Amino acid sequence: MGILLGLTRALAALNAALLAAGRQIGTACVGLMVLFILIQVFFRYVLNDAPAWTEEGARFLMLWMTGLMAPTAFRRGGFVAIETLVRLIPDRPATVLQLLLLLVSLCVLVVGVQIAWAETTGFVGRAPTDALRLPLDLTGTDWFKIPKSWARASIAVGCTLLLSVNVELLLRGLVRLLGAGDALLEIADATIMLEAE
Amino acid sequence: MLSLFLPLFLVFLLLGLPVFFGLIAAPGILLWLNGQERDIVLLYRNIYNGMDSFPLMAIPFFMLAGEVMNRSNITHRLVEFSQAMIGHFRGGLAHVNVLSSILFAGLSGSAVADVSALGSMLIPAMEAQGYTRKFAAAITASSSIIGPIIPPSGIMIIYAYVMGESVAALFLAGIVPGILIGVSLMLVVRVLANRYDLPAKTRRATWGERGHASLKAIWPLLTPVIILGGILGGVFTPTEAAAIAVGYSLVIGLFVMRTLKWSDLPDVMLRSGMTSAVVLLLVGAAMAFKTVASLSHTPELLASIILGLSDNPLILLFLINILLFIVGMFLDAGPAIIILGPILGPIFTSLGVDSVHFAIIMAVNLTVGLLTPPMGLVLFVTSSVSGLRVETIARATLPFLAVEVLVIFLITYIPALTLTVPRLFGFVH
Repeated sequence: MGILLGLTRALAALNAALLAAGRQIGTACVGLMVLFILIQVFFRYVLNDAPAWTEEGARFLMLWMTGLMAPTAFRRGGFVAIETLVRLIPDRPATVLQLLLLLVSLCVLVVGVQIAWAETTGFVGRAPTDALRLPLDLTGTDWFKIPKSWARASIAVGCTLLLSVNVELLLRGLVRLLGAGDALLEIADATIMLEAE
Repeated sequence: MLSLFLPLFLVFLLLGLPVFFGLIAAPGILLWLNGQERDIVLLYRNIYNGMDSFPLMAIPFFMLAGEVMNRSNITHRLVEFSQAMIGHFRGGLAHVNVLSSILFAGLSGSAVADVSALGSMLIPAMEAQGYTRKFAAAITASSSIIGPIIPPSGIMIIYAYVMGESVAALFLAGIVPGILIGVSLMLVVRVLANRYDLPAKTRRATWGERGHASLKAIWPLLTPVIILGGILGGVFTPTEAAAIAVGYSLVIGLFVMRTLKWSDLPDVMLRSGMTSAVVLLLVGAAMAFKTVASLSHTPELLASIILGLSDNPLILLFLINILLFIVGMFLDAGPAIIILGPILGPIFTSLGVDSVHFAIIMAVNLTVGLLTPPMGLVLFVTSSVSGLRVETIARATLPFLAVEVLVIFLITYIPALTLTVPRLFGFVH
């Protein structure tokens, strides 16, 4: 039990740190997305010359925002699910059911991580993006074409973080099943809801 | 065998697997059992492709605009405006609650944001004026569902993207149904006010006071005009309009009303980013799910089953409304639209039901589902805001829920209620 608890706490600390960094970067992505699209509108309607990079850049940021912030939502119980059955049955069977469901999501994520990294490092990932460039010197004569892998990596990183959270939740479930749930620190309460509704 | 992915998905869903994982696991397992490994790669690839979309970016932007408006304390000004206009009627604050929801809907497009913002302010105010807390909570919850129906609306953007509809058409089609729900709720308040002698604000506001309240509320009230005007005038795409709404709300909050602090911004962006991330991931998974749905020919199979029940579209629409209402009791509107839209939409379009009309039937029905137990998101939030039990609020909402169901059927059987406005703007022929 000691080893299991130690492992759970270590993974929880790692996830907390990684996800906190992810939230910071994701927050910056949100701000930059707005800025990019406002620049696009300004250039198109005021200067009559829309830059090509704004739309693709904003999509790039949205993908990273999703990849970096969704794992926090998952860890805090913010993924939409019908929890009626889990609430209706006694604690112990409910924990077993949750563990089984976490095994299903684990399988989804293990496959997802493999495919996402293969797509990132593969042929498609090596192709350059349509309009995203980075200057290689101060004069702006030499440019580096950002490859598609930089955008695809958002999903690979997101899947990897989700997998790490999934393993933590599995370990927490096991600890609870073995009767040592009180020894676990609570994950911050979920305040994430589908506010789209 | 692949057509079994839908029953398997439902089993996963009922057991409590998050919708996102269910959308991938159910088809993924069957593709694996079928030896279609290449299609599994396609399934995952389509999650990325589904999310890598410019129109979808309107979702985080509208959420951010709503958050900024909310944090800028514009709710207070909208309520003051509503109070000045109709607060003198019997049951005045209940009417104010509904009107504020209609106005708030033009800013946020979220029922949850509506309950959080208006409920925390209006429920105590109504209680102080002599309304019971459960009545105040019930009218707040019932009117909040106008949020996702009147534009801008998160679920309309999702539906438009998943089904390839025009966002502008759906936005326009939601206006009359949203107002109709608001007016119906006011009628119920009126009836209840006479029967239960609900309190009235004694003094009618002078025209001067009304003008003053209007001036104070003018900036937030202009938001929907800018959004819809920009989109319909062909000036902006919906995504650009959403970004403009963010910029506009920031200018109002930071410089005009000065009720928003720069230090509020990181938290506002964090909240909208987190919520959007969950929705975007779901939409990506839904696009992947849709791919497998077409590979398995499940929509055709379901269409033959549904058409076997009756060939009369009116009867089928009645049955589908019941199905949607039941689904709405267990699943939130966004995920339900993502799952059912691609399956049901084409069936009813082939029966001659206009695709925009069907979208609104689905959106309104599933949004009303936010108000029904056991999984009514709005009920949970209202419970947390009012301190009342979910069951108490659910019972108190029954008269309002009944009239909302009536509106669903009106919308279903009188297409003109939905289609007239988009037709006027040339989006429906």
